[in-house]
Amino acid sequence: MTTAPHEPRVAPPDAPPSALRLHRELSAIWDTPPGWGRLSAVNHTILGKRFIIAAFVFFVIGGLLAMLIRVQLATSGSAFVGPEIYGQIFTMHGTVMMFLFAIPMFEGFAIYLLPKLLGTRDMAFPRLTAYGFWCYVLGGSILVGAMLAGVAPASGWFMYTPLSSSAYTPGISADVWLLGITFVEISALAAAVEIIVTVLKLRAPGMSLDRMPIMAWYLLIVAFMMLFGFPPLILGSILLELERAADLPFFDPTRGGDPLLWQHLFWLFAHPEVYIIFLPAAGAISTILPTFARHELVGYRIIVVAVIAVAFLSFGLWVHHMFTVGIPHLALAFFSAASGLVAIPTAVQIFAWIATLAQGRLRWDVPMLYLAGFFVIFVIGGLTGVMVAMVPFNLQAHDTHFIVAHLHYVLIGGFVFPMMAATYYWLPHFTGRLADHRLSVPAFWLIFGGFNLTFFLMHLTGLLGMPRRVATYAAEAGWDWLNLLSSVGGFVMTAGFALFAADVLMQIRFGKGFRRNPHQARTLEWAMPTPPTPYAFASLPDITDRADRLEPGGLGNRLARGEGYLGFARNRWLETLGVDMVSGRPEQLIVLPGPTRLPLWSGLATCAFVLCLLFKLYLLSLLPLIAVVWLFLGWTAATAAKADLGLLPVGRGRELPPHWEAERPPSWWAMIFTLAGDGTLFLSLVFGALFLWLVAPGWPPGEVVLPAPVPVAGCVAVSVLAAIAGRKAVTVLRAGGSPALWLGLGALMHAATVALLAALAAAVPGPTTHSLHAVTFTLLFYAGLHAGIGLVYAGYCLWRQGGGYLSRRRSLDLRIAALWHDYTAVSTIVALALAVALPLLAVVPETRP
Amino acid sequence: MIDATSGRKILLLSLAAGFGLWAVAFVALYAMLSIGCAFGWDRGSLVLGLSLQRLQLLLLLGIFLALHVALVVGLSARQQRSDTATDRFLHSAARLAAIAALAASMFTYCGTVLLTTCNP
Repeated sequence: MTTAPHEPRVAPPDAPPSALRLHRELSAIWDTPPGWGRLSAVNHTILGKRFIIAAFVFFVIGGLLAMLIRVQLATSGSAFVGPEIYGQIFTMHGTVMMFLFAIPMFEGFAIYLLPKLLGTRDMAFPRLTAYGFWCYVLGGSILVGAMLAGVAPASGWFMYTPLSSSAYTPGISADVWLLGITFVEISALAAAVEIIVTVLKLRAPGMSLDRMPIMAWYLLIVAFMMLFGFPPLILGSILLELERAADLPFFDPTRGGDPLLWQHLFWLFAHPEVYIIFLPAAGAISTILPTFARHELVGYRIIVVAVIAVAFLSFGLWVHHMFTVGIPHLALAFFSAASGLVAIPTAVQIFAWIATLAQGRLRWDVPMLYLAGFFVIFVIGGLTGVMVAMVPFNLQAHDTHFIVAHLHYVLIGGFVFPMMAATYYWLPHFTGRLADHRLSVPAFWLIFGGFNLTFFLMHLTGLLGMPRRVATYAAEAGWDWLNLLSSVGGFVMTAGFALFAADVLMQIRFGKGFRRNPHQARTLEWAMPTPPTPYAFASLPDITDRADRLEPGGLGNRLARGEGYLGFARNRWLETLGVDMVSGRPEQLIVLPGPTRLPLWSGLATCAFVLCLLFKLYLLSLLPLIAVVWLFLGWTAATAAKADLGLLPVGRGRELPPHWEAERPPSWWAMIFTLAGDGTLFLSLVFGALFLWLVAPGWPPGEVVLPAPVPVAGCVAVSVLAAIAGRKAVTVLRAGGSPALWLGLGALMHAATVALLAALAAAVPGPTTHSLHAVTFTLLFYAGLHAGIGLVYAGYCLWRQGGGYLSRRRSLDLRIAALWHDYTAVSTIVALALAVALPLLAVVPETRP
Repeated sequence: MIDATSGRKILLLSLAAGFGLWAVAFVALYAMLSIGCAFGWDRGSLVLGLSLQRLQLLLLLGIFLALHVALVVGLSARQQRSDTATDRFLHSAARLAAIAALAASMFTYCGTVLLTTCNP
């Protein structure tokens, strides 16, 4: 995380520098180099903007695809494009909008705003931000490149099997989706871990949880949803790619697989995804609306509870996308009830916003116009959502254009309109310029009118029976005039978005300058120069009240003069503070990494690995894989220190340890949350195995073989020993001894685990013959992969020990590795237990076919 | 013994306790329902005209509702011992979430009492 000179200066300057000198000194440390050096950017302000711009480019691509859809459907019997191209168009429209626009757009806003709202200087892991950005852009480019080459995926954005299986979609188009989207999801998971750790650990001193800006609560909860929501889809994508590439029959009902497993894994991600998209927008509303209501947000605490409720309930609705597939009756009732229930905490937020408006004195401005559009459209989308939550209605409307209308009301109403309001609200912060708003009002009416013309009518075409995803329809159906009007509305809406883009460009180019805080907001992001400096705050504030009740003007001046924490430059370190996650009490000095091209090289190597898999160059893929591991290890080459520093002054009379000498630094927490996401993927695999046993046809397989007991017992023993060795290494180091022996033992035990698991996997009878064997093989592979990474960790720790980077105070590397060793042992034991239990369960006779 | 810092981190986790319990109940009831349907537990009657399927689901539901109530009571008691504004906020939010989760469980799983469990 840090670059630490061997003999750092620990004391701050004797006299505080002037505001201008402090600005120059901090800028010299935090600035990104010009020219090609821009590729080394890791700063959150730069990367946030890049995410937003890239997401907008993908939005334009997705929008153009939507126009093609509307041209095709404008009249019956259209010959504009054939069914194959139409399949590619609607698949890419959905895929681009969901994965390449909505999530990255919110990530961009979060990355840009979050440190500023929290009163800190950057995200917790700037290089991870940059790596996530490159994964996103490169993964998105693979998808768009495939589309331009005519091999875009064409099985729908949900990629249902068996349509997406190799039997019905030969070639690489489905692989493009599976590998490209998984590549992009690295970015989402990286953002999730980073947002969680940043909110919990990198707040301004004094900012206890109850003083956090409401947006931080929204982003924290959404990041947890991403951490637990994305792994099921990543697992599903891996399993489907394994089926397509290696013929492992997870979804093939003729060999004990089940296409419904894909639907479960997909929707287990994709329904929470709707709320992952909506909640950050709701956070923006909760931040913007009080400013224009000139009244603090009503019901801060109840909104926090409501967002928690939405987060959990959204994970209990996924089957409402599958009501027609034959789920047990009572389960339909559970999912239907949860689907209706989620409207209540959503409505709590809406009523809190209305109450805020009612309590305040509304100042009407362009962001409020767009929020008014949000209220109308989202409420309609919410009401149709309650309709489709009801099983009988859902059965009638399933897979019709009514659903298309509903999801666009929810997603465009719940995300696009608030984000346009957010754009107008925060654009002065990005640019330092104010809009004259000449184009924003006609743009709104074109978008609002065009949207309702397009999608309200789809409710009617849907109720008249028009199915989704059909390239043409017969004139006798009588849907022509509704579809024609929908298409006209689509083009009106597009004209509105073009006007919106023109307005934003005009503001960036010709907007008028302003001094500070043009909206008279009361949150921290306005307590800094605009456009922001790369270090965000010249010194860090001491927060004594809720962070939406501040006076940014006066506070900003004091911080610029260096009157807060860390109001000085030292050792060319990029410094900020880490706090206790509940009270906000400062507890460590965090030194962040500066600009580096390592994230770019790592992203390119990852891209090369993905491309090798895409073109089935499996042996060659080992080269970029080794490069990825080598580059990731390269991230650590310049980190931490070779000497203990002890307590360092951080200003205002306080002294704190550097993070690498602290007990619970951000990287330790990052490992905890990474393992939580990893564990979710593993639990999804366990769910998949049990689902296939219970539901899939063709069980038991002809040949049922129990794994040999001796290797299983040996494997459990060595994986537990590896974990014990990892813990002992920490204990010995902290007692002043050398951990080398224990680290070596840990490495040996991990190697033994890998060998034993490989032997067990080799003994699995024909993984391609039945899903039982495929699942067993995959469980063993998962455990083996973790033991292999554990081996790398142990070797890395040995290298750190040999290089003199470890001491009693500097044991962080070992403590992080110990977490991995512990998780590996637990997951290996569970994987082996399931590998033994599944063959036993398989032969238990079921009484119902 | 839990030190003050660990105790406050548990306090943070308690925000998710109520709906976490709702989620565990969801998984447990859905899993046991599916197992019962696969093994034909819904056929015939075991006690008082109730099938094995209905009995095991009602038992599970009863356990989870009891846990919900215990959580609400426990958090209410802890809320009265809060000594800082942050603790009071977290305790209060956790208690509200737990009450909402209890209501959510009663609503989501009430079909267990009467509805047909499996497809014919």
